[in-house]
Amino acid sequence: MSALKAFRAIVKREFFSYFVSPLAYVVLTAFLLIQGYTFYLIVLALNQPETPRTALMSLFFTSVFYWIFMMLISSVIAMRLLSEERKTGSIEALLTAPVSEATVVAGKFAAGWCFFLFLWLPTVLYPVLLSRFGTLDWGPIASGYLGIALVGALFISAGTFASALTKNQIVAAIIGFVFILGVFIVGVFRDFVTDPGWRDALSYLNLLEHMDDFARGIVDTRRILYVVSTVVFFLFLSTRALEANKGR
Amino acid sequence: MLEVQGLSKSYYGTPAVEDVSFRVETGEILGFLGPNGAGKTTTMRMITGFLPPTAGRVLLADVDVTEKPLEAKRELGYLPETLALYPEMRVREYVAFRAELCGVPSSRRRARVDEAIQKCFVDDVAGKPIGNLSKGYRQRVGLAGALVHGPKVLVLDEPTVGLDPRQIVKVRDLIRDLRKEHTILLSTHILPEVEVLCDRILIIDRGRIVAAGTPDTLRQEMSQAPAVTVVLKGEVSEADSILRQLPGVTRAARIGAGGETRVSLAGAAGSDLRESVFREVVTRGWTLLELTPRQASLEDVFVRLVSRDAAAEVDTMPGVDADAPTPAPGTERPQ
Repeated sequence: MSALKAFRAIVKREFFSYFVSPLAYVVLTAFLLIQGYTFYLIVLALNQPETPRTALMSLFFTSVFYWIFMMLISSVIAMRLLSEERKTGSIEALLTAPVSEATVVAGKFAAGWCFFLFLWLPTVLYPVLLSRFGTLDWGPIASGYLGIALVGALFISAGTFASALTKNQIVAAIIGFVFILGVFIVGVFRDFVTDPGWRDALSYLNLLEHMDDFARGIVDTRRILYVVSTVVFFLFLSTRALEANKGR
Repeated sequence: MLEVQGLSKSYYGTPAVEDVSFRVETGEILGFLGPNGAGKTTTMRMITGFLPPTAGRVLLADVDVTEKPLEAKRELGYLPETLALYPEMRVREYVAFRAELCGVPSSRRRARVDEAIQKCFVDDVAGKPIGNLSKGYRQRVGLAGALVHGPKVLVLDEPTVGLDPRQIVKVRDLIRDLRKEHTILLSTHILPEVEVLCDRILIIDRGRIVAAGTPDTLRQEMSQAPAVTVVLKGEVSEADSILRQLPGVTRAARIGAGGETRVSLAGAAGSDLRESVFREVVTRGWTLLELTPRQASLEDVFVRLVSRDAAAEVDTMPGVDADAPTPAPGTERPQ
């Protein structure tokens, strides 16, 4: 019970502290610019009669450029989570409160994830806007957002781990980006293996396919399981790293 | 209520703290005194569960910190040496955050936050961002955050460092006030501070406890040589050489000059010079104006106890002026 309270306190504090740093607004602005441009491209594409209308959301995720941008943003969102408190020393007061390292890591991750989801909030306007000019299938749109939330959790958890490894935020961002890139690249190897077994396995790690599925309205529990277990794994690593490094 | 048993910490085989044991009773203030780098902060970090000890155990209100950290830390309020708060938060927000973090039930949170803010005299800045406050205010905000959940034990690491004299007085008054409800362990390298605040003192040097006791017993036990100042009327030329021959006197020296004869005497351990000096003065027919036993100051004790290079550091350490320049965190030798 008290762990839950402490978790809530940490999430709240961490989430709102995003909005006092200029970084948050830079990220927010860049994100909206990119999303706005993507939306513009979607509207252009929809004007072409040959564009399929079934997987509207998948249009968001087709370009690799878009993915790199997501990876960058996630590593920037996550970079300060643990490294900043270790740098300033406020981690000492935090960890001598009756909270466990796991609660702190979970709270930090949750705050970063909430901020990631917050970035996406304005984009809900786009389908609402489109729905005025035609009928939309809301199912795939909802599952598309679920897919985004899952990918976000995956990226932010990798970034959280990077942030637990160093006191330097910039270093944390770079390491985090490498981790996130690693998570992304693993699935891409699907295209380089010939063995059908491996191909199958790797396709579940392929985030492009993941997003494609979700955008089409296919909610595959195996994909959810992959994301959840990877997130738990990264958070476990972060907890251990924090336990080992906190006094240094 | 706070018990430390055989606490040790070593870094890569180099001992930083060795076999430290002590007990602090409820309502008591224990002063933890030592030069910079003696192992004070390391010990305190182990007590608060922030650093795992290499050996030994810590009982906070009878709960083992290593075995049941969450339960033990519920009874702990800790003010770290490098006090880092969240500069963007407002004072009230921060104290409320600590209250929620430490599991104060939401029904009582408001009252507790108000109480802590008033107790630490920060109500006049309750709405200001912490980053805009002076060091003295920040220190008291940290304290308010540390005691908002009503812990039984308070661990304060150098609570008055970097404060101006007026703020020091305020923080000291506050600590004295807190002893009614808390068991307090306080570390400092400022001697007058322990003298005015603490019921008992532990002196630590190079990771070991070198002395323990009340300020008075420490002074008595450690003052191996009784010292007396004798003032005689008029000019008595051989006073020092005559007094030097008294049994038990190890040293006699004229001090000062002028209309009075002033002699400073030092004796062997355990002796009392006053009586023999008095008799000698009477038989010689001198007029005794003053016979004053000098108490060894705690500073004498401290300097004698701590090792030589550390003592040199103490000499340059101002006793009254608490604003001693402390080395930057990076340059300090590992504690």
